Amino acid sequence: MEFELLACGGRQIMSVIAPTFRLSYFLKSILDNVFWIIVLVTLVGIPAIQIVLFYIEMPVINGELLTPFLALTWLADPSRAIPIVKAFMYTDFFRIAVFPGFGLAALVAAGTIFVERKMLAKLQLRVGPFYCGKVEGILQLAGDGLKLISKEIIIPAKADKPIFWIAPVAFVGTAAAFVSLIPVAPGWVVADVELGVLAVFAVIGFFPIVTVLSAWSANSKFPFIGGIRALHQMISFEIPLILSLLGVVMLAGTMSLTGIAESQEFIPWIVFLPVGAIVFFICILAELERIPFDLPEAESEIVAGWLTEFSGMMYGLVQLGTYLKLYAFAALFTVMFLGGWSGPMLWPPFPEEIITDGIQLGPITATIPGLPLLDQAMLNGVLWFLLKTVAVIFFILLPRGVFPRIRIDMLLSLGWYKLIGLSFINIFIALALLYAGVLGPGGII
Amino acid sequence: MYVTTGEDEANEGEEVRLMSTPVPTAQPFLEKFPDATIISDDVDRPAILVPKEHIIDAATLAKEMGFDHAESVSGVDFPNDNQIEVVYHLGSYTNENLTKCVLALATRAPREDDPRPGQDSTRLPTLREVFYSVEFHEREIFEMFGVYFEGHPDNRRLLLPEDWADLPPMRKDFAIKGR
Amino acid sequence: MTMSAQLPPGLQLEKVDERIMTLNVGPQHPGSGHMRIIVQIDGDYIVACDPDPGYVHRGEEKMAEYRNYITNIPHLERPVIHDSCNILYPYVLGAEELLGIEVPERAKYVRVIAAELNRCVYTLYWLAIYGIFLGHSTMFMWPSGDRELFIDLLEKLTGARVTHAYFIPGGVRNDMPANFEDVCLRQVRYFEKRIAEYSDIFYDNPILISRTANTGVLSRNDAIRLGTTGSVLRASGVDYDVRKKEPYDVYDSLDFETNVLKSGDSYARSKVPWLDMMESCRIIRDALSKMPKSGSVRTKLKPNPKGGDTSVYKRVESGRGALGCHIVSRKKPEPYRVKLSVGSFRNLIAMPYLLKGEKLGNMPSVYWSLNYWPVEADR
Repeated sequence: MEFELLACGGRQIMSVIAPTFRLSYFLKSILDNVFWIIVLVTLVGIPAIQIVLFYIEMPVINGELLTPFLALTWLADPSRAIPIVKAFMYTDFFRIAVFPGFGLAALVAAGTIFVERKMLAKLQLRVGPFYCGKVEGILQLAGDGLKLISKEIIIPAKADKPIFWIAPVAFVGTAAAFVSLIPVAPGWVVADVELGVLAVFAVIGFFPIVTVLSAWSANSKFPFIGGIRALHQMISFEIPLILSLLGVVMLAGTMSLTGIAESQEFIPWIVFLPVGAIVFFICILAELERIPFDLPEAESEIVAGWLTEFSGMMYGLVQLGTYLKLYAFAALFTVMFLGGWSGPMLWPPFPEEIITDGIQLGPITATIPGLPLLDQAMLNGVLWFLLKTVAVIFFILLPRGVFPRIRIDMLLSLGWYKLIGLSFINIFIALALLYAGVLGPGGII
Repeated sequence: MYVTTGEDEANEGEEVRLMSTPVPTAQPFLEKFPDATIISDDVDRPAILVPKEHIIDAATLAKEMGFDHAESVSGVDFPNDNQIEVVYHLGSYTNENLTKCVLALATRAPREDDPRPGQDSTRLPTLREVFYSVEFHEREIFEMFGVYFEGHPDNRRLLLPEDWADLPPMRKDFAIKGR
Repeated sequence: MTMSAQLPPGLQLEKVDERIMTLNVGPQHPGSGHMRIIVQIDGDYIVACDPDPGYVHRGEEKMAEYRNYITNIPHLERPVIHDSCNILYPYVLGAEELLGIEVPERAKYVRVIAAELNRCVYTLYWLAIYGIFLGHSTMFMWPSGDRELFIDLLEKLTGARVTHAYFIPGGVRNDMPANFEDVCLRQVRYFEKRIAEYSDIFYDNPILISRTANTGVLSRNDAIRLGTTGSVLRASGVDYDVRKKEPYDVYDSLDFETNVLKSGDSYARSKVPWLDMMESCRIIRDALSKMPKSGSVRTKLKPNPKGGDTSVYKRVESGRGALGCHIVSRKKPEPYRVKLSVGSFRNLIAMPYLLKGEKLGNMPSVYWSLNYWPVEADR
């Protein structure tokens, strides 16, 4: 009886067992989907795009202004495609949302989470994410994100609701603002601020405020303790963080992050200021609340610290912000101490004959205007920048497998006594190099 | 600082010497408290039943003999005798010739058929002043048998839920369902 | 009268101090286990701590009064399924004395081997949780993985991975499988190599030492006065191990040492079980070599045996310290009263004593270093 019911598609019983598979049903469902997609795109999608395009400034291609009526012609004409893409790439929106800004940071953050989980697993003699996505659990993060989105968001009854709602968004926003200050390649930066280092300090100063506000607004004991811990930790480590960067600023003679990166074209500052680099690295670990400094989230003492009351995608946003912050700090380390994008030319030059002769596909020769899309120096810079950043991220991840968590009093004494002392030593080294005339503006090297 | 110490040579020799001449642990109680009953005179497991009036003095005597901690405090309900027995198993860490020995010091409290823990006559003097280690054990006996320990500083429930409103569960008249 | 006077004792309202914050650590808390610790903190310092066990109280002792000596075995091991051989051991020894059963020589050795394997299983599990309580996730994974070695061995020996129910009055349930000795020696040799690596990543870790040394110091006198037992006692400098002081079964013929550390802090308390595991490996190897190669492993029992009109108190050394079993018999197939005096419950008394005045950050490390198993303490 039951077998018969199952055989006719499992529609009549509420069974957890999957109905018998039939290829015809499968094909029918795919065709259904295709049909509805075509109908919706032609009736709703294309008109909507056309309406939006009327409000967007169009680039000039082949001497004529691209009109919204011609905008979709690139689908049929490849020679128009690359100029449109290129024009789009030089808009501010692209910079903020995709390349040197949020998109790159989110991609690196996602990669970081995956690498962290796999690396930690190998360190601990286990497998890590494995099943999701067939290849070594590559889709595990997407699955986790989907799970978090689908979860209910629970707000504590006596929470200060507006602040509690704003906190995760503000956290991600602060982290994204931090990301926007990082130059990735010559000219490729969202906000090229004259006083870049100062802007970084200003943005970092928002993190403890957001943390304490979210912890306090939750009106719960464990988040409150966690928030106060985070406040103590971030403030006590911001001072050595700022001081350790002063040496670099003195030697480079500029506060612009682009300028600092350009100043170390041949020798990165870590060679001259290793003490500052070490202090800065330890401060990064503390600011990022990573083991051994993960006191604000110490799960065996205060559940999850200031994240305890966050649920669903609010928690997901905070995690996203944390990893954006991790990328931004690692990138800042690269820019300040490792020379940013500078490095020997590794990227092969763009083949000239494609521009002059076009691409030959059998009997057809297609000349594509607008190539190359990106120049060689930029690609090489991004490559070097990412290589260095990934190396720094690796070193940030590594202590998690080795160290236990330290205690708050040990942490504070480390921040206030040892690191501040060391960063002053670093400043003296920088001053000595500067006044001896070895480095800096007008120095020997 | 963190070095594993080997066995103490002097202690080893002493132990061997003393183990050959076991101490009669039950006899001194009978001499001091004539109304005590010796249940077992075994060298390793002596057992004495002392009336509740003398239990503190008996415990003090045990402490003078070298017993320094309570290993276990168990209650036994005897509804036929209308009594609840509380057995203190005392052991010694410091006295080398008592290390094998566990003294069972028992006493009995009157039992009431309709118990109101803490407010009826099922009471015993606490031994916490003599043996600090009985503190949690006596709290357990209080909730499980309803024996109120007079002078115990912290006579609260320990294992049972705060709103337990039935008989003390380890008494014989508290029956498990289906048995 | 106020409302608080009408409430039962545990539900009374408390006066609130402005400076003091009361934290309910547990039962739903990643750092509590199956219990609640009511902690009052002033800033970062703990001013009072009130352990509240009983969340998983199952009335094992009451249940034991309704079942006969044999059917008691599978449920009496439930309080610590990770150390199920050792928690049954005193009950089985007591039942043997009450029922007057002799145990064959080979069974005694098999029991010792099973008990020591089980001690390692428990201690590794405990150590894993100690690692994660300190935020050391590698130390959580390594012992959890190495524990499988012994679980596999015990599965070969007893047929079950954790709840073995292996010891019975009169011996053990079944004999060793044929190749057990070789497999056991191989696994133990591998494990000894492995366990030495723990010191590299955990016990010699400077952050761990600076975090746990000199915290929660239990002096020798206090350890004795509070009646603590097992690793807590030995970490405070008292050389007391039931296996040495009152050897049961064949422990007197085996070659092993007890590990005593003097400092009495969380670090020493966490190190003693690790050292004990090495001794367990020694005992297992020694017992395998001295064991009679053939012979019976169980004495045949009469159906539904009855005890005399006496009571016994037997004790063994479990993973958490001395484990005593007080059985009162009244000439019936069922014991009249079974009382398990467990090491966890005895060490619990030290918790409020040690945590008072400590920092909140030390709470997990001090708490778990007491070698406390909430489920066992609740019974």
